[in-house]
Amino acid sequence: MRRAIQLILLYARVSVQNFAAYRFDFFMRLFMSFVQLGAELVIVYTIFFNTKSLAGWRWQHMVVLVGVYRIVAGGIRIYIVPNMRAVLEDIREGTLDFVLLKPVNSQLLVSIREFVFWRFTDIVLGLSAAAYGAYKLSVHVTWVQVTTFAFMLAAAFAIIYALWLALATLGFWFIRVQNIEMVFWNVFEAGRYPVMIYPSWVQWSLTFLIPLAFITTFPAGMLTGDSATGVPLHAPLLAGGMAVVSLLASHWFWRYGLKHYSGASA
Amino acid sequence: MSGFPRAFAAMLRVNIANMIQYRAEILLWSVWGIVNPTVLYVMWASAAGGSDDGTVAGLDRNGVATYYFSIMIVGHVTAAWDVYEMSYLVRKGSLSPQLLRPILPIWNSITGNLAYKITTMMFVLPMWAVFFFIVRPHFSTQPWQFGLAAVALVLGAVLNYMMCYTVALIAFWATKLDAVGEIYFGLCMMLGGRVAPIAGLPPVVSELAAVLPFQWMFAFPAELLAGIVTTPQEAMAGLGMQAAWVALTIILFNVVWRAAIRRYSAVSG
Repeated sequence: MRRAIQLILLYARVSVQNFAAYRFDFFMRLFMSFVQLGAELVIVYTIFFNTKSLAGWRWQHMVVLVGVYRIVAGGIRIYIVPNMRAVLEDIREGTLDFVLLKPVNSQLLVSIREFVFWRFTDIVLGLSAAAYGAYKLSVHVTWVQVTTFAFMLAAAFAIIYALWLALATLGFWFIRVQNIEMVFWNVFEAGRYPVMIYPSWVQWSLTFLIPLAFITTFPAGMLTGDSATGVPLHAPLLAGGMAVVSLLASHWFWRYGLKHYSGASA
Repeated sequence: MSGFPRAFAAMLRVNIANMIQYRAEILLWSVWGIVNPTVLYVMWASAAGGSDDGTVAGLDRNGVATYYFSIMIVGHVTAAWDVYEMSYLVRKGSLSPQLLRPILPIWNSITGNLAYKITTMMFVLPMWAVFFFIVRPHFSTQPWQFGLAAVALVLGAVLNYMMCYTVALIAFWATKLDAVGEIYFGLCMMLGGRVAPIAGLPPVVSELAAVLPFQWMFAFPAELLAGIVTTPQEAMAGLGMQAAWVALTIILFNVVWRAAIRRYSAVSG
């Protein structure tokens, strides 16, 4: 465990040092993070310029959802997306050999090599938006709300990590699957709005087949602590279960996929 | 000039062959053009249910469905992505051989654009059909509106293409263009009537939309197609606006291109 933490810190330090060479880039991206959040808030403003509620969600609820969307969309670009991109690249080029030869758990190593630290700006901005929305809803945000929210976010990241690991593992069979990333962002797009706007069969699919509801809608609903959003009270239980199951399943799938890896010489 | 049609046809053939080689990629690319308007349709239909009179921006549920089905078609026909590609071409030096040809590089890019739209037809037509049969939008558009909508679509595509390409020329001055591309694309979505119908835009945003060309690229053809533009006078005025913007953009392109090309020799070293 201590060794794992040391490794994570080591790789993180190298990534930060690499990035420090491009300071102008950093300010440009910081600026873009602000622009993105601003654009998303303008969309919420536009929606509620025309209507009072979106499947039970009022503007305060939606500001929380925008915040959560930003936290997740930015958060998965810190570790998950860049690392899984690197795995797919390694599988295609055969350079995964260098990872497998190291005396460290391969799943750990492929998950920590890249670290895009400046994306933390998205997490800070997203948290601010979510906090503002929750505060506007009720001045007394309880500790229960905050802790369930933190738990739901953790579960959301676990689910996305498992999903991406499974997608990357597919690379062992289908060499050219980089485009799978496009599929992911296409589906993720649907998470900008609460799943309650969809017909019930789509809602069900987005909860249990593609667990998108656990990633944005449910965490946002839990922070608001408002039953008007239509988020079930037992959502944390479901999320916890979903996170554990998907982590185990993807871990098993990764190990199974590794057996199919034929290396650079193939 | 007699050689031009032949050169154009040859470049189109090469670009189509290229597209067919990467058909999986372009399929995924075109899926976004289906998912995004579908999500927005569901969102606005739901928003219409939550408003006092059951409408948003003067559109009821069916109005929202016809509008977003039209936006789906308009979005595909008017697609342009040079603003993302140009900085890559300049950085990698791939533009240099194109500049040596006795034909402007923009023509290669235009044929590439057309090739994408032709080759993706076999994917997007079935997807449009699926949307149509599930959502069942009811069109009350008259034949004359369909006819003018076809003209508006072509003008909208030319306008977005020329504007996108002209903005992309910034790549000759600044080689990292990602942010510019994102902002251009965001403006297309927000002020072009794609995120929300123009009539539903709040103050300030709607004033911006009124003075900028984006609504003439997407919203106007879609409104004609959906039968929201009801009088021939309105339709002709809109086509006039489109034509004026197209003319202006082509002039702008010529001015910027000349400056850009002078600048290029310095970069290529």
